[in-house]
Amino acid sequence: MRRLIQVLLVASCVALPRGPLATLSLGGEHPVAPSRSGGFSNVPAPAGARSARNANYAIEVRLRPATHVLDGREVITWRNISRVSTSELRFHLYYNAWKNNRSTFAREDRLAGFFPGPLREQDLGWIDVTSIRLVTGGPPVDLTAARRYLAPDDGNADDQTVMIVALPRAVAPAESIDIALEWTSKIPRTVARTGVIADYYFLGQWFPKIGVLEDQGWNCHQFHESTEFFADYGVYDVAMTVPRGWVVGATGTERSRRDNPDGTTTWSYREEDVHDFAWTTSPNYLDRRARFEHPGLPPVDMRLLLQPEHASQAERHFAATRAALRYYGEWFGPYPYGHITIVDPAWQSHAGGMEYPTLFTAGTRWLAPERVTSPEGVTIHECGHQFWYALVGNNEFEDAWLDEGLNTYSTARVIAEAYRDANRLDRRFLGGFVPYVFPDISLDRFDDDGLADYRRAARVDLPSVPSYRYWPNAAGTLSYSKTALWLHTLENYLGWPTFRACLATYFDRWKFRHPKPQDFFQVVCEVSGQDLTWFFDQVYRGTQVFDYGIDALRSAPAGSGDILEPSGRPASKRSPSGGTCHTQVVVRRYGDGVFPVDVLVRFANGERVRERWDGRELWKAYTYERRACAVSAEVDPGRVLALDVNPTNNARVVQPLARRAATKWMITWLVWLQDLLLAYSYFA
Amino acid sequence: MSVANAFTSGIRRVNHAPSLLVGVWLLTFLAALPLGLQVRAAIAESLGASPAAGAAARGVDYTWWQQFSEEATGPSKAFSPAIVGGAAVIDNLSSIIDNRSHEIAVAAAGFTYAIVWLILAGGILDRYARNRKVGSFAFFSACGGYFARFARLAIVAGLAYVALFAWLHGWLFDGIYPRVTANWTVEWHAFALRVSLYCLFGAALCLCNLVFDYAKVRIVVEDRRSVVGATIGALRFVRRRPGVLALYLIDGCCFAVVMTAYALAAPGARVSPWWTLAAGQAYLLARIWVKLLFYASEVAYFQGSLAHAAHLARPLPAWPDSPAADIADSPPAKD
Repeated sequence: MRRLIQVLLVASCVALPRGPLATLSLGGEHPVAPSRSGGFSNVPAPAGARSARNANYAIEVRLRPATHVLDGREVITWRNISRVSTSELRFHLYYNAWKNNRSTFAREDRLAGFFPGPLREQDLGWIDVTSIRLVTGGPPVDLTAARRYLAPDDGNADDQTVMIVALPRAVAPAESIDIALEWTSKIPRTVARTGVIADYYFLGQWFPKIGVLEDQGWNCHQFHESTEFFADYGVYDVAMTVPRGWVVGATGTERSRRDNPDGTTTWSYREEDVHDFAWTTSPNYLDRRARFEHPGLPPVDMRLLLQPEHASQAERHFAATRAALRYYGEWFGPYPYGHITIVDPAWQSHAGGMEYPTLFTAGTRWLAPERVTSPEGVTIHECGHQFWYALVGNNEFEDAWLDEGLNTYSTARVIAEAYRDANRLDRRFLGGFVPYVFPDISLDRFDDDGLADYRRAARVDLPSVPSYRYWPNAAGTLSYSKTALWLHTLENYLGWPTFRACLATYFDRWKFRHPKPQDFFQVVCEVSGQDLTWFFDQVYRGTQVFDYGIDALRSAPAGSGDILEPSGRPASKRSPSGGTCHTQVVVRRYGDGVFPVDVLVRFANGERVRERWDGRELWKAYTYERRACAVSAEVDPGRVLALDVNPTNNARVVQPLARRAATKWMITWLVWLQDLLLAYSYFA
Repeated sequence: MSVANAFTSGIRRVNHAPSLLVGVWLLTFLAALPLGLQVRAAIAESLGASPAAGAAARGVDYTWWQQFSEEATGPSKAFSPAIVGGAAVIDNLSSIIDNRSHEIAVAAAGFTYAIVWLILAGGILDRYARNRKVGSFAFFSACGGYFARFARLAIVAGLAYVALFAWLHGWLFDGIYPRVTANWTVEWHAFALRVSLYCLFGAALCLCNLVFDYAKVRIVVEDRRSVVGATIGALRFVRRRPGVLALYLIDGCCFAVVMTAYALAAPGARVSPWWTLAAGQAYLLARIWVKLLFYASEVAYFQGSLAHAAHLARPLPAWPDSPAADIADSPPAKD
């Protein structure tokens, strides 16, 4: 048996693509790769591979549900694709973020105000690597004693999310090594989208994962509260043993399923050219299938693992996934894997809304009204991460905005296309269970809380600061809202065809690779043919706030001597009977951000004058002598500058309806207040 | 007296005193108006000469609304989408049953309104107990006459309500509910539990309210001076007569019908403000009518159930004349 194991492992580690390792059994001695001549080997990525495939995993894991423990072993075939040699390896041990309440994750959680209190003993999670062996070349070299923990980001001695292992000799560029690890994990109560609640398991970031070696050295950050992950691409062969009858969903496609004599089943999954592997298991999933087909795009088999109480929402999940695959595919580039798994997480699992290669978690509620884009919004967003993150693999520790921002922007675009008439505001009452839909309040691409979120924290931090070092709680604003808003702005400024071409080029050039912010900027400038440094300096390297407005609109018959502020008197009645009307418009830059804007002045006779202002000065005055008086003036009439924090002051009219609107809303508010007063009287 | 008779008698008593209904509605409107005008001024200032006002006048400009909400102070902080249409009543119900706090200005208005209601309650109960027209002088005399006793009762009731919200609510919804559902993964199971706890808390709240309602009734009808005695008497009355609960339940159903009807039919944001005003005030009139129905039917039930309500507390029919004296003059009041 052991010999068979060795043969299988050799086949899987040396010759990519590997076969499944489902026949391996846990508990025995770990298989060892045979020696290769010269020690470390030089194994290039196989021809036809879409990625560098320099971090390849063959993993076996067994779930012990009674104790919430994972027993795992893996062989990592890692190739040094940097220009430097390394005499050490660094691994992420993400589960140790919940090993104690002093980890960097826990500390940052407390700073951000998310931490409900110390994790209880039974809710903690950890990963204990029990064996590390170099299995390339010659007899296995036990490196277990050479491991230690490192906290490269903050020096926190209580944080054990990064493990460093010294090698007997350096791995040169293009050299390849095989490392065999064994570990035991305690699965935490679901936290940060991984863990267990009842019999629902979602396993993300669950195995020892090698960091990314760059020319500057190891890029292997600790697990932070506000950021996610970064890893090299490779091939994953994973065999998961779970109780028989439980459903398993995982990154990739199922290769085999085998019932074991001990009442368990081993599921084997495989995926190529991905940088992560997540899986889930539960006895309760409903397993639904559908297929995405669209002219010009490759078909995709969709698998939906649904909670029974959401059975009626299956088609909504599929429709949203189809929308994402279609529009992202048409706009940026096709989804290449041919299959995707949508996981509907269990209620209270805190596992919703997370992306993993070819698998993502959505999230919905038992009561999910049709005209509200939930679960559609999160489904499109997480499916969209297949493009921005899974395929274009930026570093989420350092540049989270690069995928989150692009994806938030793209999600809003898809929702605007596919759910134009079904994106209503809702609020939940009675403990947050009962939704109420406001049929009169439609949400557009900017309303969806992005602008409000950005306005609240526009200057809180610099987006160019590495994401894991953002001011607590700033990541959402900077990575999601602000970035999406300036991408909307860029689209409006450059025009959709140009901007789409920018994104498609960026996607095509950087898929299966690790772009940096400068790579994105470079593509946009190159494709648009414009030097947009002035813009990126403000929105990425600065905290400038944009706010343009009409400071004054004065219009009166020439020679009448009076200057008309907006007065409520009809402008048409003040139009000159035979002479001209003198109009003055003052446009002001209230913020420190500079952006070229249009100014549109409308006159009572229907005439329109459009001015172009570079927006640099603090104010600009325009005067007109026309046969009619002005009725309105508007800066940025097309709302190009989606970052403008105060769109209300962007225009002035000479017939303001503020009083009418205020009266209307006072009446509405009065009904609410009177009703509340009567509620108070209940206690009198 | 049967529950049905008390209920129908209560309806007649409320309908025969329309000035009370209109007066309470007017009071409610006027109590809300100052804050409403503040909100109106804030909205008008925020919109200024912006064309967003046009969108807000025609329907909803949500972009402006978000901005306004962020900058709002005082009562304007409570200007949220939850005020639109049927959400208004659901929001208010939810805020009570979920023990959510309100903006200070709004809470102060609610507290003030409750005190005014406390003043009026004596006169209202007195009017329903007499079951005949009384002049405004007699009405306000009764208000004043019972206020001190009602104020003392309010302290006792206040302590009970504080205990309910601070202790029982906290125990149910911050203790039991999260502890029991901590590892639940099926949302509707948790919702079912929460609804059960709402029912439990609501029952406690209603029971408390019922006892203090009857304490007020006994103070008025029997001209009781001791609020403790009245409360104990009310407790005894409630305990011995299950019909009290049935009557409360029927009245409560009326409240639920009115509230549900408005929640379903309430005008949205795109209709004429005058239609919003008409529909909203009609709903509030109906709601006040139901609230008065609670009082009137409880008075009727008490008077019809307890012999001494008509015969024992029999003070001289001198000013401030007691309703018991009225009933003694024309015993017994059969509707």
